[in-house]
Amino acid sequence: MEATTFARAPMIAITALRVLVGWHFLYEGLSKLTAPSWTAAGYLKQARGPLAEQFRWLTTRPDLLASADLITMWVLTIVGVCLMLGLFTRLASVIGIGFLLMFYLAAPPWIGYFYAIPSEGSYLLVNKNLVELAALVVILLTGSGRFAGLDRILHRLIRRSPRLAAA
Amino acid sequence: MADEDDKGKSKTPAAAGAPPKLDRRELLRGLSTVPALGLFGYAWSRQQQHRRGTEAAAATTPAAAAGLQEINVALLGAGAQGQVLMESMLRIPGLRFRAVCDIWTEYNLRRVVNTLKRFKQEPNGYEDYREMLDKERELDAVIIATPDFWHARHTIAALKAGKHVYCEKEMSNTLEGARSMVLAQRETGKLLQIGHQRRSNPRYIHAYQKLLGEAKLLGRIVTVAGQWNRAVAPDLGAPDRYAIPADKLKQYGFTDMQQFRNWRWYKGLGGGPIVDLGSHQIDIYNWFLGASPSGVMASGGLLYHDPKTHQWHDTVMVIYDYDTPLGPAKAYYQTQTTNGSQGYYESFMGDQGTLLISESELNYPGQLYRDPNAPAWDEWIQKGYISAPKEQEAKEQTASGAVADVRESVAPDQHTVPVSLRDPYHQPHLQNFFDAVRGKAALNCPAEIAYESAVTVLKVNEAIDAKSRLAFKREELTI
Repeated sequence: MEATTFARAPMIAITALRVLVGWHFLYEGLSKLTAPSWTAAGYLKQARGPLAEQFRWLTTRPDLLASADLITMWVLTIVGVCLMLGLFTRLASVIGIGFLLMFYLAAPPWIGYFYAIPSEGSYLLVNKNLVELAALVVILLTGSGRFAGLDRILHRLIRRSPRLAAA
Repeated sequence: MADEDDKGKSKTPAAAGAPPKLDRRELLRGLSTVPALGLFGYAWSRQQQHRRGTEAAAATTPAAAAGLQEINVALLGAGAQGQVLMESMLRIPGLRFRAVCDIWTEYNLRRVVNTLKRFKQEPNGYEDYREMLDKERELDAVIIATPDFWHARHTIAALKAGKHVYCEKEMSNTLEGARSMVLAQRETGKLLQIGHQRRSNPRYIHAYQKLLGEAKLLGRIVTVAGQWNRAVAPDLGAPDRYAIPADKLKQYGFTDMQQFRNWRWYKGLGGGPIVDLGSHQIDIYNWFLGASPSGVMASGGLLYHDPKTHQWHDTVMVIYDYDTPLGPAKAYYQTQTTNGSQGYYESFMGDQGTLLISESELNYPGQLYRDPNAPAWDEWIQKGYISAPKEQEAKEQTASGAVADVRESVAPDQHTVPVSLRDPYHQPHLQNFFDAVRGKAALNCPAEIAYESAVTVLKVNEAIDAKSRLAFKREELTI
């Protein structure tokens, strides 16, 4: 990814997408951090799909669950800030994709699963977690942070330092 | 700087992909999405403002009035219930957490102290309650949420140290314990509130004062039924690396971590589900019926759980006899811990109507049924005490096509109780306690009332063992 070979207009659109996804991550993280006792226990207890056993097992271990809650809240928040600023965009995207994949797999909208926790839409195989995950893949692959974001500045600085040393 | 950039440029003229110099244009582009974060911050602060606004509007008492006397509090017992109380207290203005005490120093104590620090409180952590009472001289009140068998010792020590006490129910696991708490309260003249929090719940107060007291909507209550059905839950565990050393556990009355975490199931420590769950609701029976029971029959047993780790009955069914001011009544209660369907509620049935009520805001948050023969309730609807009746469908057939038998009673009108609690369930009761500490309210559940409830509930376990009806003696109920 030395230089983006994409046209300007699509890159602006992808940058806007990055900011929006980052906004959503940041708010999901912050709202959990500021709630006095948020926990993923309820979400995990109704887990379905290939990892259901593991997710449910997690809810029986209060110590692990507490760590998982803490990690989730902070990762969402930090990834959100990074995406909005375009800072370490690719790393943030990869981590975001990992978490979204976990969220998706904890409650996949697959045929034959019926959830009691309400969802705000209607889904068949594809839900908003998956769509957001796909958006992050686009952001990852296009290096939007280097188009418009702190990564651009960082990139310049890092690129310059060996030359400075040589000089 | 420009010099260096120029040098760099001149050295790599052919590298098409090489980054251009970091000029103003580049810098601006790099920072171009930073304003979005500013916008987020603005939206966030507006939203927080709005949330605080709605919370303040919904709170049971007006938020921090200027010159509110600050109360220094300590939390004694920082486990699951202690944390529930802490969360409610953090929403009550004018409290300063001075100390937290828990024997699980590496886990509960640390967790709660850290949480409180996040809310700008600076509590000192203690393992030994005596040390806490000794050192924290400026405490006004102690909130006790330790296992039942510790309540009496903790409460009496705090009262004698000159502190007001809010102690979780059940008052004690023994009648002697409960009795000694009442006596200590009388002796010291300090406040002692017991955590039967429904006594301060606005819906229950509305039902008691307005619906039963003023409007007498139920007529004469003859039967009461209530239940708390709870689903099977795995035993509480504890990570090995946080385990409390064996000698310390022993010092505080536990044999091992399993027992420490699951004390509610052990004889000598707790009272089992009938005490943990039933005591809240049976307390309401006494309150709403205006009497204590005269006798009790009960059946129960450990039908499901492993007797190695569970000693108390997981299933209990009770029938109380009451002699109420209006005449005799019978009250049924059941609790079981194998299936949570239909949850928990209390149902009071009189000759004119039925009140179905629960603490839950989601299930049974207050329904009233008017018997078709009872006088009209229009006056109470106009006053806003109850909602207008739900319109009944005029269908003669049910949805399944079955036809109702002519001998079935005409369905009663269904109304709802238009009072809900938007705060955490324990907040009004704690608020009532702190109002009383400030001399602005009377306690909703003082020691004597809670003692009557304790006698009523603890007798159930006795009746199960006796396998026969036990009568309550007058001297048992009073001190």
